[in-house]
Amino acid sequence: MDHAVRFSHVSKKYHLGLTRTSVAAAAWRSLRHAWNGSRGADDVYWALRDVSFSLEAGRSLGLLGPNGAGKSTILKLLAGITEPTSGEVESSGRLAALIELGAGFHPDLTGRENVFLNATLLGLPRHEVRARFDEIVAFAELERFIDTPIKRYSSGMTVRLGFAVASCIEPDVLLVDEVLAVGDAAFRQRCVARIQDLRSAGTSLLFVSHDMGLVKAVCQEALYIEDGAIRHAGDTGETIDHYNRVLDQRRLAKLQQQAGSPGDHGIVEIGRVEVLAGDGGPVRAVTSAEPVQVRISYTAYTDVPKANVLVRMMRSDGLSCFVLRTSQDGVPVRFDRGTGTVAVTIDATRLFPGSYYAVVWFLDASDANGMSRATSDWFEVQGRTAGIDHHDGVFEPDHAWLTRPAAAEGAAPVGAKPGPAGERG
Amino acid sequence: MPAAASPAAVARNRAPASPAMVALDVTRAWAARTLRARYQQSAFGWAWAVVQPVAMVAIFTVVFTRFVRIETGGIPYVLFAYTATVPWTLLANAWADMAGSLVANLNLVTKIAFPRAALPAAALVARAVDFGIGMVLLLALVVAYGMPVTVQWLWVPVIVAVLVTFTLGLGLASSALNVFYRDVDPAIKLLTQLWFYASPIIYPTALVPDEWRWLYYANPVAGVIDALRDVLLLARAPGPELAAAAAMAVVALAAGYAFFRRVEGRLADVI
Repeated sequence: MDHAVRFSHVSKKYHLGLTRTSVAAAAWRSLRHAWNGSRGADDVYWALRDVSFSLEAGRSLGLLGPNGAGKSTILKLLAGITEPTSGEVESSGRLAALIELGAGFHPDLTGRENVFLNATLLGLPRHEVRARFDEIVAFAELERFIDTPIKRYSSGMTVRLGFAVASCIEPDVLLVDEVLAVGDAAFRQRCVARIQDLRSAGTSLLFVSHDMGLVKAVCQEALYIEDGAIRHAGDTGETIDHYNRVLDQRRLAKLQQQAGSPGDHGIVEIGRVEVLAGDGGPVRAVTSAEPVQVRISYTAYTDVPKANVLVRMMRSDGLSCFVLRTSQDGVPVRFDRGTGTVAVTIDATRLFPGSYYAVVWFLDASDANGMSRATSDWFEVQGRTAGIDHHDGVFEPDHAWLTRPAAAEGAAPVGAKPGPAGERG
Repeated sequence: MPAAASPAAVARNRAPASPAMVALDVTRAWAARTLRARYQQSAFGWAWAVVQPVAMVAIFTVVFTRFVRIETGGIPYVLFAYTATVPWTLLANAWADMAGSLVANLNLVTKIAFPRAALPAAALVARAVDFGIGMVLLLALVVAYGMPVTVQWLWVPVIVAVLVTFTLGLGLASSALNVFYRDVDPAIKLLTQLWFYASPIIYPTALVPDEWRWLYYANPVAGVIDALRDVLLLARAPGPELAAAAAMAVVALAAGYAFFRRVEGRLADVI
């Protein structure tokens, strides 16, 4: 099988100070280094060190690791945005990089003009853009707004147009860097479906995301990368397990290291925030009527006799939907040194369909000062009815309709139509 | 292509487009974007393309025919100044735009792989459109003042080519250098002001002492302006200074492009 992508002993060095360079400062620095006899190695940062891997054509590879590990550098090297300091980067066929959706969009230009501009920047010849234009617009669902300047678009519409352009390139190698974290849930699902379509048509994929569930769903293999080196390579599930084990071990090591040194800060650390089904099982999607549980695992480095926990439910666009506080509910919280979990169950979120995530705060006894904060992965709330829903507002409380003909009671609202309970406008 | 082919089959299994084609496509698209964005919501629209040189000529004409008299050898001062202002406006505006083109679009440079030279090239193309309008107006003005239309007009494309070549080389080098040293922007503003007085825009080259002439023509803009005055206002072939300017333009483009290519791979790391 051919290799779609191959890295051979690739290293990438960045000079940290370079952006501030003026001629005078550079001259002064080299003078100082000459005086000290040093070469200023402290200004150098190795984003990647001697990285080698390859991906067979038609396969998909996830890149895992903390921020600053070097994941994005790998994609930028592959895309040809930057060059390796040493080593060789090879890829075969047409390559498309979704590193930033809609880069080059100009707010004053219409959707149509921006489609041509963006597609051209991504390397699609003009006649091909023309041939696929209708397809792009249909995928973005922007037929009505395509001749409107995109400064009048919502951010969701802009992202949809960006992805629609980028994914129509049908590359042999597709690079995706955390771009799906924006946009609404329905569109995100279609993006993933689109990536799967490309995959089944033979496109090789490199995928960067902090959403382990998404990586698991999309990728066959994964690399765990940290400090510019590959720490683990294998199939996706195995690599994710390894990565989680490493994170757990680190938390434990930190606990042991901090034993007996009670400080004011960092005395409790949130490990993981999971949104689970009501019975505690894993879940990626629930309906608005089903129970969910937000479970928080933590590590306390010292005993905390009195504390508070706050759970804020966020919609994908950053809207705060509701907040649950132990202080408000009068629930006492204490953390004993060691690890433990806190969970809150919600009978039914009643939220409209969409992507949501939970933000969790551990607060001190006064309920005012934060001790630790963490967020969950995204989860989907699905509608009760099939098809695309258009909703105004945030949630739908339990409700029932009551209508009577005017003859039965004089006070009945005029114009109310009889219908099944719970019908939405 | 066969009608039965699905869209997917059309796009797949084709060699990537050639880099030169991509560069041309991007240059065109980006220049169109720049022009649209510049004129889309302005009330005067394309008129702005000529407002700047016309306003300059108007003030020069008042100052140098009423206050300070400058001898132009019998050529109406308006024609004399406008012939120089049109090419000068291209050089000054395109140079500034090109120098800022990479820095101003750093999100593109760090997020998308495309031929980087397309950005400064597009900045030049966008200004060249203004220049084209200015040239049409210039030729109309020359005719309106009763100057003879001679065979010497055939030199105009050559002169324009020299100017554009020189500007392209200068702008390519400046755009890349600006990424590394932001001093380039203020330096260009200053140099543009000095350069204006070092070029025969408001005064004729005849005022420059003979023994300094060779140094004066080390400025290719002087060669271009004098050549344009020769062919449009004096109905004679350009002098050797146009050849000198052409040689300098070729050197500028070769050196500017070589420098750009040399640092192109490092732009995204530094910007």
